[in-house]
Amino acid sequence: MNFRIDRRDLLKASGAMAMTLAAPSILRAQGATVKVGVLEPLTGNLAYNGTQSAAGAKFAADKINAAGGIKSMNGAMIELVVVDAQSRPEVAASSVDTLAQAGVVAFTGATASSLGLASSQAAAKYDLAQVFSIGTAETVVERGLPNVFRFTPGVNKCTSVALENLKLLNQGAGNVVKTAAIVHEDGPFGSNMAKILATELPKQGIEVVETISHPTPHRDFSNIALRVKASKADILIPSNYLNEYTLMARSLRQQRVELKAIYSILGGAASNIKFVRENQEVAQYVMDCNHWYDPNKDESKALAETTAAAGLDLTYDVMVSYATIQVIADALERSGSDDRKKMLEALAASTFDGSIMPYGPTKFVNGDNVNSRPVNTQIRGEKIEVVFPKEFASAEPVFPIPAAQ
Amino acid sequence: MKFNSVGQIALVVAVCAYLLSVYFMASPVWMGFTINALIVAVIAQSWNITGGFGGMSSFGHAALYGTGAYASAILQVQYGVNPWLAFAIGIVAGAAMGGFIGALAFRYGLKGSYFALVTLAFAEVLRICASSFDITGGGSGLQLKLEPGIANLQFPDRTVVYTLLLVVVALVMLVTYMIKKSRFGAYLVAVRENEDAARALGIDTYKIKVQAMVISGAFGGLAGALYLQLWLFIDSTVVYGSAVSIEALIGPIIGGAGTVWGPLIGTLGLHLLGEGAKHLLPNAPGLNFVLYAIVLICAVRFLPRGLMGLAALIGTLKTRKDEDHA
Repeated sequence: MNFRIDRRDLLKASGAMAMTLAAPSILRAQGATVKVGVLEPLTGNLAYNGTQSAAGAKFAADKINAAGGIKSMNGAMIELVVVDAQSRPEVAASSVDTLAQAGVVAFTGATASSLGLASSQAAAKYDLAQVFSIGTAETVVERGLPNVFRFTPGVNKCTSVALENLKLLNQGAGNVVKTAAIVHEDGPFGSNMAKILATELPKQGIEVVETISHPTPHRDFSNIALRVKASKADILIPSNYLNEYTLMARSLRQQRVELKAIYSILGGAASNIKFVRENQEVAQYVMDCNHWYDPNKDESKALAETTAAAGLDLTYDVMVSYATIQVIADALERSGSDDRKKMLEALAASTFDGSIMPYGPTKFVNGDNVNSRPVNTQIRGEKIEVVFPKEFASAEPVFPIPAAQ
Repeated sequence: MKFNSVGQIALVVAVCAYLLSVYFMASPVWMGFTINALIVAVIAQSWNITGGFGGMSSFGHAALYGTGAYASAILQVQYGVNPWLAFAIGIVAGAAMGGFIGALAFRYGLKGSYFALVTLAFAEVLRICASSFDITGGGSGLQLKLEPGIANLQFPDRTVVYTLLLVVVALVMLVTYMIKKSRFGAYLVAVRENEDAARALGIDTYKIKVQAMVISGAFGGLAGALYLQLWLFIDSTVVYGSAVSIEALIGPIIGGAGTVWGPLIGTLGLHLLGEGAKHLLPNAPGLNFVLYAIVLICAVRFLPRGLMGLAALIGTLKTRKDEDHA
């Protein structure tokens, strides 16, 4: 058999070989990604919040990628690896294995403290940073784990700010509120909050005249509304989740319970636009102290539009999750690497102040962002307005609720 | 341990092969979720003692699981007790809770759905209590300090954790097997089949049922204490929640209630199914629960004796009228 190679064939073959050898680097240059994990409860009783959070993370990654990705890493695109914690701590912990195997450099999550406690502990073994979207329990940052970065405020800060703001509001209104009723779900969140309020409210001269607990789920709030009415409390402080909050508010309306204010701390529905949209009259003037973005920032306004375009509710889950991806992206820019240890160092040294949240420059002390803070919101018309602190406020607070016409 | 068919032998060999293969899998994901499944297998075996062998179906095994976990956690967190001792006391506390619920329920002749509802009520009461008192950490739950080391019963190496859990599951199954083969086990089955007839034959059915609850409680407490040592955090919903009670009964029902291997096979099978669904369809969270439900409906409708019962029909080794499957 006779093989003859002419010059033209040689050129063709050389060209093909050159293309083949160059392809990986071309592909790398075009499609380089850096993986970031999103660990959220997409199923189970926290599915609504988890799904919202995952959407927030996606919006942030899309925004960063559209702006050219991580510039210090040659424009590497952020690729999100989303895993379902199923609203169960042991699943959250074992899901960290999936993230580690996927090669994520850090991850955000996990909506509930119990999930975050388990996941961050599992992640410590991989030197994998967890930037907490929401993890209000103080135990989150009390374990000394070097991979824990809680960007948003914990329950102690939220409660103290909320009570301080309530004091200011009440003083401004001539101390019209003298008695309070607490309605709380009987789980960890509600019962803990009720205990703190029972201790702290009397220090402000507000007597707790009724404390009512209920399970989750709970559907008939008629009796609870009647008990609140009978207590003649000036203010109602609820600590429950979205559905119960909504049903409770409707029952209060049906039973014509006259209150000077409904004031939530990390309220289940008070900062939820779905509640506002579906319960226009009932929701009016409800106040909440919660995680919320700075509504005056351009990026916040853009996020509101993106969320609306996606047909989703603009909840604080979307906002904080968006912000945590911003924090991770900033750390990636500074570390310029997908090395996990460098990521830990970059996050620990973070002074990022470009997030959508109304925080000062990020400063993690023992994993807790000391410059985070909650804001007070109030439902006004079809909107949720920020009323405290003044520098971020989009409306003046209305306190007490104006008497019915 | 005797098996009635080639199918049962194949099923058990497949489970053992999977459990061993986890050591050699490159991905840590499999070991992670199998560790969870093994803890569930222990609480499933706990349910199997009363529900499977004794016919006392409980909807509230979380009461036993949570008591074991909380007893161990309270002792360690609030009183600084040695973790090993607290772990052992957690098992005893689970057994005591089982005995208490059993003594109270059976004293008043509760059986069937009434017994199921009482156990459910106990679990709920305990859940609310655990979220209300300071000693249980109230709503915040209890968190053990992260102090890896054998002295603190915390093992950073997951292969060690996995091996220990395999040993624990094997021991629990061995105890179950010994119960099954003992006079006590025969009495328990007699109670399940016909309690009046058993009593007429001179069996102290009240005592037998309470004893079964104590053993079941010990297994449940063991599972709860294991969970605590592994994840170092519990709260009322996590350990007393209805999800625990449901998982406790689903495994044996799918695998084969009243068999030694059924709870492990059912639990592993369901977890593998769920995990497989997650990997095949990563963009469909919750599909694993749909599969759970479909499998459960099919099992209840078509497999009254679970997977072990189904496997017994394949390549029967010998005919036995008493249907004494392994």
